[in-house]
Amino acid sequence: MKIHLVSLLVSLLIFGLVIDLVRRHRLTFKYAIGWLLISAGAIFLAIFDQLLFALAHFLGFELPSNFIFFAVLSMFVFLSLLLTVFLCQQNERNDVMAQKIAILEFELKELKKKA
Amino acid sequence: MSDSLKVLAIVPAFNECGNIGRTVSEIHRLAPHVDVLVINDGSADDTAQEAAQAGGMVVSLPFNLGIGAAVQTGFKYAKAHGYDIAVQIDGDGQHDASFVGQLIAPIVEGRADMVVGSRFIQKAGFQSSFSRRIGINFFVHLINILTGVKISDPTSGFRAYGKKLIALFSEYYPHDFPEPEAIVVTRQAGGRIVELPVVMRAREAGNSSIKYLKTLYYMAKVTLAILVHMIRQGKSL
Repeated sequence: MKIHLVSLLVSLLIFGLVIDLVRRHRLTFKYAIGWLLISAGAIFLAIFDQLLFALAHFLGFELPSNFIFFAVLSMFVFLSLLLTVFLCQQNERNDVMAQKIAILEFELKELKKKA
Repeated sequence: MSDSLKVLAIVPAFNECGNIGRTVSEIHRLAPHVDVLVINDGSADDTAQEAAQAGGMVVSLPFNLGIGAAVQTGFKYAKAHGYDIAVQIDGDGQHDASFVGQLIAPIVEGRADMVVGSRFIQKAGFQSSFSRRIGINFFVHLINILTGVKISDPTSGFRAYGKKLIALFSEYYPHDFPEPEAIVVTRQAGGRIVELPVVMRAREAGNSSIKYLKTLYYMAKVTLAILVHMIRQGKSL
Protein backbone atom coordinates (compact mmCIF):
# COMPACT_ATOMS: atom_id res chain seq x y z
CA MET A 1 0.00 0.00 0.00
CA LYS A 2 2.95 2.28 0.69
CA ILE A 3 4.06 2.18 -2.95
CA HIS A 4 0.60 3.28 -3.93
CA LEU A 5 0.94 6.43 -1.80
CA VAL A 6 4.54 7.11 -2.88
CA SER A 7 3.75 6.94 -6.59
CA LEU A 8 0.73 9.17 -6.10
CA LEU A 9 2.82 11.74 -4.19
CA VAL A 10 5.60 11.75 -6.80
CA SER A 11 3.07 12.24 -9.61
CA LEU A 12 1.41 15.07 -7.71
CA LEU A 13 4.81 16.65 -7.01
CA ILE A 14 5.74 16.67 -10.71
CA PHE A 15 2.35 18.06 -11.66
CA GLY A 16 2.61 20.82 -9.04
CA LEU A 17 6.21 21.61 -10.03
CA VAL A 18 5.25 22.05 -13.70
CA ILE A 19 2.38 24.38 -12.75
CA ASP A 20 4.70 26.39 -10.51
CA LEU A 21 7.29 26.67 -13.28
CA VAL A 22 4.64 27.96 -15.67
CA ARG A 23 3.41 30.39 -13.02
CA ARG A 24 6.93 31.78 -12.53
CA HIS A 25 7.43 32.10 -16.32
CA ARG A 26 10.21 29.49 -16.27
CA LEU A 27 8.30 27.21 -18.63
CA THR A 28 6.13 28.26 -21.53
CA PHE A 29 2.79 26.62 -22.24
CA LYS A 30 4.14 25.01 -25.41
CA TYR A 31 6.65 22.94 -23.44
CA ALA A 32 4.55 22.58 -20.27
CA ILE A 33 1.52 20.96 -21.88
CA GLY A 34 3.28 17.65 -22.55
CA TRP A 35 4.55 17.40 -19.00
CA LEU A 36 1.14 18.28 -17.58
CA LEU A 37 -0.53 15.57 -19.64
CA ILE A 38 2.08 12.98 -18.65
CA SER A 39 1.92 13.77 -14.94
CA ALA A 40 -1.89 13.89 -15.04
CA GLY A 41 -1.80 10.43 -16.61
CA ALA A 42 0.58 9.25 -13.88
CA ILE A 43 -1.73 10.58 -11.16
CA PHE A 44 -4.68 8.86 -12.79
CA LEU A 45 -2.87 5.51 -12.99
CA ALA A 46 -1.56 5.88 -9.42
CA ILE A 47 -5.14 6.21 -8.17
CA PHE A 48 -6.73 3.62 -10.44
CA ASP A 49 -3.90 1.12 -10.41
CA GLN A 50 -6.22 -1.77 -11.30
CA LEU A 51 -6.43 -0.15 -14.71
CA LEU A 52 -2.63 -0.21 -14.96
CA PHE A 53 -2.54 -3.90 -14.05
CA ALA A 54 -5.28 -4.68 -16.53
CA LEU A 55 -3.51 -2.79 -19.28
CA ALA A 56 -0.20 -4.51 -18.53
CA HIS A 57 -1.90 -7.90 -18.59
CA PHE A 58 -3.74 -7.07 -21.80
CA LEU A 59 -0.48 -6.13 -23.54
CA GLY A 60 1.11 -9.33 -22.37
CA PHE A 61 3.58 -8.07 -19.74
CA GLU A 62 4.33 -10.68 -17.06
CA LEU A 63 4.74 -8.01 -14.41
CA PRO A 64 3.03 -4.61 -14.22
CA SER A 65 6.40 -3.11 -13.20
CA ASN A 66 7.89 -4.22 -16.53
CA PHE A 67 5.10 -2.42 -18.28
CA ILE A 68 5.83 0.76 -16.30
CA PHE A 69 9.57 0.58 -17.08
CA PHE A 70 8.86 -0.01 -20.74
CA ALA A 71 6.37 2.86 -20.95
CA VAL A 72 8.62 5.34 -19.11
CA LEU A 73 11.68 4.34 -21.14
CA SER A 74 9.80 4.71 -24.44
CA MET A 75 8.55 8.08 -23.33
CA PHE A 76 12.08 9.28 -22.55
CA VAL A 77 13.48 8.07 -25.86
CA PHE A 78 10.72 9.91 -27.68
CA LEU A 79 11.19 12.99 -25.51
CA SER A 80 14.95 13.17 -26.08
CA LEU A 81 14.44 12.80 -29.81
CA LEU A 82 11.99 15.67 -29.69
CA LEU A 83 14.42 17.76 -27.64
CA THR A 84 17.20 17.05 -30.15
CA VAL A 85 14.93 18.35 -32.90
CA PHE A 86 14.31 21.51 -30.88
CA LEU A 87 18.02 21.83 -30.22
CA CYS A 88 18.84 21.58 -33.94
CA GLN A 89 16.22 24.19 -34.73
CA GLN A 90 17.61 26.55 -32.10
CA ASN A 91 21.15 25.91 -33.31
CA GLU A 92 20.20 26.74 -36.88
CA ARG A 93 18.39 29.91 -35.85
CA ASN A 94 21.38 30.88 -33.75
CA ASP A 95 23.72 30.47 -36.73
CA VAL A 96 21.45 32.50 -39.00
CA MET A 97 21.26 35.26 -36.43
CA ALA A 98 25.01 35.33 -35.85
CA GLN A 99 25.59 35.58 -39.62
CA LYS A 100 23.06 38.36 -39.94
CA ILE A 101 24.47 40.33 -37.02
CA ALA A 102 28.01 40.01 -38.37
CA ILE A 103 27.00 41.25 -41.85
CA LEU A 104 24.88 44.09 -40.44
CA GLU A 105 27.70 45.16 -38.14
CA PHE A 106 30.08 45.32 -41.08
CA GLU A 107 27.62 47.23 -43.27
CA LEU A 108 26.94 49.68 -40.43
CA LYS A 109 30.64 50.31 -40.01
CA GLU A 110 31.01 50.96 -43.75
CA LEU A 111 28.04 53.36 -43.68
CA LYS A 112 29.51 55.28 -40.75
CA LYS A 113 32.83 55.51 -42.59
CA LYS A 114 31.09 57.04 -45.61
CA ALA A 115 29.01 59.47 -43.56
CA MET B 1 38.13 37.96 -67.99
CA SER B 2 35.10 40.15 -68.13
CA ASP B 3 35.52 43.29 -66.05
CA SER B 4 31.82 43.96 -65.72
CA LEU B 5 31.30 40.95 -63.47
CA LYS B 6 31.53 41.51 -59.73
CA VAL B 7 33.74 38.94 -58.06
CA LEU B 8 34.01 38.39 -54.30
CA ALA B 9 36.75 36.39 -52.59
CA ILE B 10 35.34 34.71 -49.50
CA VAL B 11 38.15 34.04 -47.05
CA PRO B 12 37.13 32.10 -43.93
CA ALA B 13 39.62 32.65 -41.10
CA PHE B 14 39.76 31.23 -37.59
CA ASN B 15 42.78 32.30 -35.54
CA GLU B 16 44.87 33.00 -38.64
CA CYS B 17 46.93 35.84 -37.20
CA GLY B 18 50.27 35.87 -39.05
CA ASN B 19 48.74 34.29 -42.19
CA ILE B 20 45.63 36.30 -42.96
CA GLY B 21 47.38 39.61 -43.74
CA ARG B 22 49.61 37.92 -46.28
CA THR B 23 46.66 36.04 -47.79
CA VAL B 24 44.62 39.23 -48.23
CA SER B 25 47.48 41.25 -49.76
CA GLU B 26 48.31 38.38 -52.08
CA ILE B 27 44.74 38.29 -53.39
CA HIS B 28 44.80 42.07 -53.88
CA ARG B 29 48.10 41.82 -55.75
CA LEU B 30 47.37 38.77 -57.92
CA ALA B 31 43.62 39.27 -58.47
CA PRO B 32 43.16 43.05 -58.33
CA HIS B 33 39.57 43.07 -59.65
CA VAL B 34 38.35 40.87 -56.83
CA ASP B 35 36.85 42.26 -53.61
CA VAL B 36 38.14 40.46 -50.55
CA LEU B 37 35.75 39.56 -47.75
CA VAL B 38 37.34 37.92 -44.72
CA ILE B 39 34.95 36.03 -42.46
CA ASN B 40 36.52 36.14 -39.03
CA ASP B 41 34.97 33.07 -37.43
CA GLY B 42 35.11 34.15 -33.80
CA SER B 43 38.92 34.25 -33.64
CA ALA B 44 40.52 34.84 -30.25
CA ASP B 45 43.57 36.56 -31.79
CA ASP B 46 43.99 39.67 -33.97
CA THR B 47 42.82 38.03 -37.19
CA ALA B 48 40.23 40.76 -37.82
CA GLN B 49 42.65 43.67 -37.32
CA GLU B 50 45.36 42.05 -39.43
CA ALA B 51 42.90 41.36 -42.27
CA ALA B 52 41.52 44.91 -42.16
CA GLN B 53 45.03 46.41 -42.14
CA ALA B 54 45.83 44.42 -45.27
CA GLY B 55 42.83 46.06 -46.92
CA GLY B 56 40.25 43.31 -46.64
CA MET B 57 36.60 43.81 -45.76
CA VAL B 58 36.11 41.97 -42.48
CA VAL B 59 32.89 40.43 -41.24
CA SER B 60 33.34 39.16 -37.69
CA LEU B 61 31.04 36.43 -36.43
CA PRO B 62 30.19 36.91 -32.73
CA PHE B 63 31.40 33.38 -31.93
CA ASN B 64 32.89 30.41 -33.73
CA LEU B 65 30.34 28.85 -36.10
CA GLY B 66 32.64 26.52 -38.03
CA ILE B 67 33.87 26.60 -41.62
CA GLY B 68 30.52 25.85 -43.29
CA ALA B 69 28.55 28.62 -41.60
CA ALA B 70 31.51 31.02 -42.02
CA VAL B 71 31.66 30.47 -45.77
CA GLN B 72 27.87 30.71 -45.94
CA THR B 73 28.12 34.17 -44.36
CA GLY B 74 30.18 35.10 -47.41
CA PHE B 75 27.50 33.74 -49.76
CA LYS B 76 24.87 35.79 -47.95
CA TYR B 77 26.97 38.92 -48.30
CA ALA B 78 27.66 38.15 -51.98
CA LYS B 79 23.97 37.68 -52.68
CA ALA B 80 22.93 40.85 -50.83
CA HIS B 81 25.51 42.93 -52.70
CA GLY B 82 24.87 41.54 -56.16
CA TYR B 83 28.09 39.64 -56.78
CA ASP B 84 28.18 37.45 -59.90
CA ILE B 85 30.94 35.12 -58.79
CA ALA B 86 32.30 34.03 -55.42
CA VAL B 87 35.73 32.50 -54.93
CA GLN B 88 36.47 30.64 -51.73
CA ILE B 89 40.08 30.94 -50.58
CA ASP B 90 41.34 29.55 -47.27
CA GLY B 91 42.70 32.10 -44.81
CA ASP B 92 45.77 30.02 -43.94
CA GLY B 93 47.70 30.89 -47.09
CA GLN B 94 47.39 27.39 -48.51
CA HIS B 95 45.81 28.61 -51.75
CA ASP B 96 47.70 30.50 -54.42
CA ALA B 97 45.66 33.55 -55.53
CA SER B 98 47.33 33.59 -58.94
CA PHE B 99 44.91 30.80 -59.91
CA VAL B 100 41.81 32.91 -59.23
CA GLY B 101 41.57 34.09 -62.85
CA GLN B 102 41.67 30.51 -64.15
CA LEU B 103 39.16 29.31 -61.55
CA ILE B 104 36.50 31.85 -62.45
CA ALA B 105 36.98 31.57 -66.23
CA PRO B 106 34.55 28.63 -66.77
CA ILE B 107 31.88 30.55 -64.85
CA VAL B 108 32.50 33.75 -66.81
CA GLU B 109 32.20 31.73 -70.02
CA GLY B 110 28.94 30.19 -68.75
CA ARG B 111 30.34 26.64 -68.81
CA ALA B 112 30.07 25.90 -65.09
CA ASP B 113 28.23 26.74 -61.88
CA MET B 114 31.06 25.54 -59.65
CA VAL B 115 34.78 25.24 -60.31
CA VAL B 116 36.91 23.14 -57.98
CA GLY B 117 40.66 23.76 -57.80
CA SER B 118 42.36 20.36 -57.66
CA ARG B 119 45.90 19.69 -56.50
CA PHE B 120 45.78 16.15 -57.92
CA ILE B 121 45.39 16.88 -61.64
CA GLN B 122 48.91 18.10 -62.30
CA LYS B 123 50.23 16.56 -59.08
CA ALA B 124 52.38 19.64 -58.42
CA GLY B 125 52.89 21.36 -55.09
CA PHE B 126 51.76 20.06 -51.72
CA GLN B 127 49.97 16.73 -52.15
CA SER B 128 48.65 16.19 -48.60
CA SER B 129 49.67 13.36 -46.30
CA PHE B 130 49.38 9.68 -47.24
CA SER B 131 46.50 8.92 -44.89
CA ARG B 132 44.56 11.94 -46.06
CA ARG B 133 45.06 11.00 -49.69
CA ILE B 134 43.52 7.59 -48.97
CA GLY B 135 40.55 9.36 -47.40
CA ILE B 136 40.24 11.79 -50.29
CA ASN B 137 40.43 8.94 -52.80
CA PHE B 138 37.59 7.20 -51.00
CA PHE B 139 35.41 10.29 -51.39
CA VAL B 140 36.31 10.59 -55.06
CA HIS B 141 34.74 7.17 -55.61
CA LEU B 142 31.83 7.69 -53.22
CA ILE B 143 30.82 10.97 -54.88
CA ASN B 144 31.34 9.43 -58.31
CA ILE B 145 29.02 6.53 -57.47
CA LEU B 146 26.37 8.75 -55.89
CA THR B 147 26.34 11.68 -58.30
CA GLY B 148 28.04 10.39 -61.43
CA VAL B 149 30.61 13.15 -61.43
CA LYS B 150 34.33 12.55 -60.93
CA ILE B 151 36.06 15.20 -58.82
CA SER B 152 39.69 14.33 -58.06
CA ASP B 153 39.97 16.70 -55.07
CA PRO B 154 36.56 16.80 -53.36
CA THR B 155 37.91 18.23 -50.09
CA SER B 156 39.56 21.19 -51.80
CA GLY B 157 38.34 24.49 -50.38
CA PHE B 158 39.73 26.48 -53.31
CA ARG B 159 36.63 26.98 -55.45
CA ALA B 160 34.57 29.40 -57.49
CA TYR B 161 30.78 29.63 -57.61
CA GLY B 162 28.38 31.29 -60.02
CA LYS B 163 25.41 33.45 -59.21
CA LYS B 164 22.87 30.60 -59.03
CA LEU B 165 24.94 28.68 -56.50
CA ILE B 166 25.58 31.84 -54.48
CA ALA B 167 21.80 32.19 -54.15
CA LEU B 168 21.29 28.50 -53.33
CA PHE B 169 24.14 28.33 -50.80
CA SER B 170 23.13 31.55 -49.06
CA GLU B 171 19.87 29.74 -48.24
CA TYR B 172 21.23 26.26 -47.74
CA TYR B 173 24.88 25.33 -47.31
CA PRO B 174 26.11 22.20 -45.55
CA HIS B 175 27.66 23.02 -42.18
CA ASP B 176 29.30 19.77 -41.19
CA PHE B 177 31.82 18.89 -43.91
CA PRO B 178 30.97 21.54 -46.48
CA GLU B 179 33.47 20.78 -49.25
CA PRO B 180 32.48 17.24 -50.27
CA GLU B 181 28.87 17.81 -49.25
CA ALA B 182 28.54 20.95 -51.39
CA ILE B 183 29.50 18.90 -54.46
CA VAL B 184 26.62 16.50 -53.77
CA VAL B 185 24.18 19.36 -53.11
CA THR B 186 25.27 21.10 -56.31
CA ARG B 187 24.79 17.94 -58.37
CA GLN B 188 21.39 17.34 -56.80
CA ALA B 189 20.41 20.87 -57.79
CA GLY B 190 21.50 20.16 -61.35
CA GLY B 191 24.59 22.37 -61.21
CA ARG B 192 27.56 21.88 -63.52
CA ILE B 193 30.92 21.28 -61.86
CA VAL B 194 34.27 21.78 -63.57
CA GLU B 195 37.62 20.88 -62.06
CA LEU B 196 40.87 22.66 -62.84
CA PRO B 197 44.45 22.06 -61.73
CA VAL B 198 45.88 24.28 -58.99
CA VAL B 199 49.02 24.18 -56.87
CA MET B 200 48.63 24.28 -53.11
CA ARG B 201 51.17 24.98 -50.41
CA ALA B 202 51.86 22.84 -47.38
CA ARG B 203 49.98 23.67 -44.22
CA GLU B 204 51.15 21.06 -41.80
CA ALA B 205 53.39 18.05 -41.75
CA GLY B 206 53.88 14.90 -39.73
CA ASN B 207 51.93 11.76 -39.18
CA SER B 208 51.08 9.75 -36.13
CA SER B 209 49.00 6.67 -35.56
CA ILE B 210 46.34 8.88 -33.97
CA LYS B 211 46.09 10.75 -37.24
CA TYR B 212 45.26 7.54 -39.10
CA LEU B 213 42.47 6.83 -36.65
CA LYS B 214 41.27 10.42 -36.97
CA THR B 215 41.26 10.10 -40.74
CA LEU B 216 39.21 6.93 -40.48
CA TYR B 217 36.77 8.59 -38.10
CA TYR B 218 36.56 11.61 -40.38
CA MET B 219 35.89 9.38 -43.39
CA ALA B 220 33.05 7.63 -41.58
CA LYS B 221 31.47 10.91 -40.52
CA VAL B 222 31.71 12.52 -43.94
CA THR B 223 30.33 9.39 -45.59
CA LEU B 224 27.31 9.52 -43.31
CA ALA B 225 26.86 13.24 -43.93
CA ILE B 226 26.98 12.66 -47.70
CA LEU B 227 24.54 9.75 -47.49
CA VAL B 228 22.16 11.94 -45.49
CA HIS B 229 22.06 14.30 -48.47
CA MET B 230 21.02 11.42 -50.68
CA ILE B 231 17.87 10.79 -48.64
CA ARG B 232 17.09 14.48 -48.31
CA GLN B 233 14.88 16.39 -50.65
CA GLY B 234 17.24 18.21 -52.99
CA LYS B 235 17.00 21.92 -53.70
CA SER B 236 17.01 23.12 -57.27
CA LEU B 237 18.90 25.96 -58.88
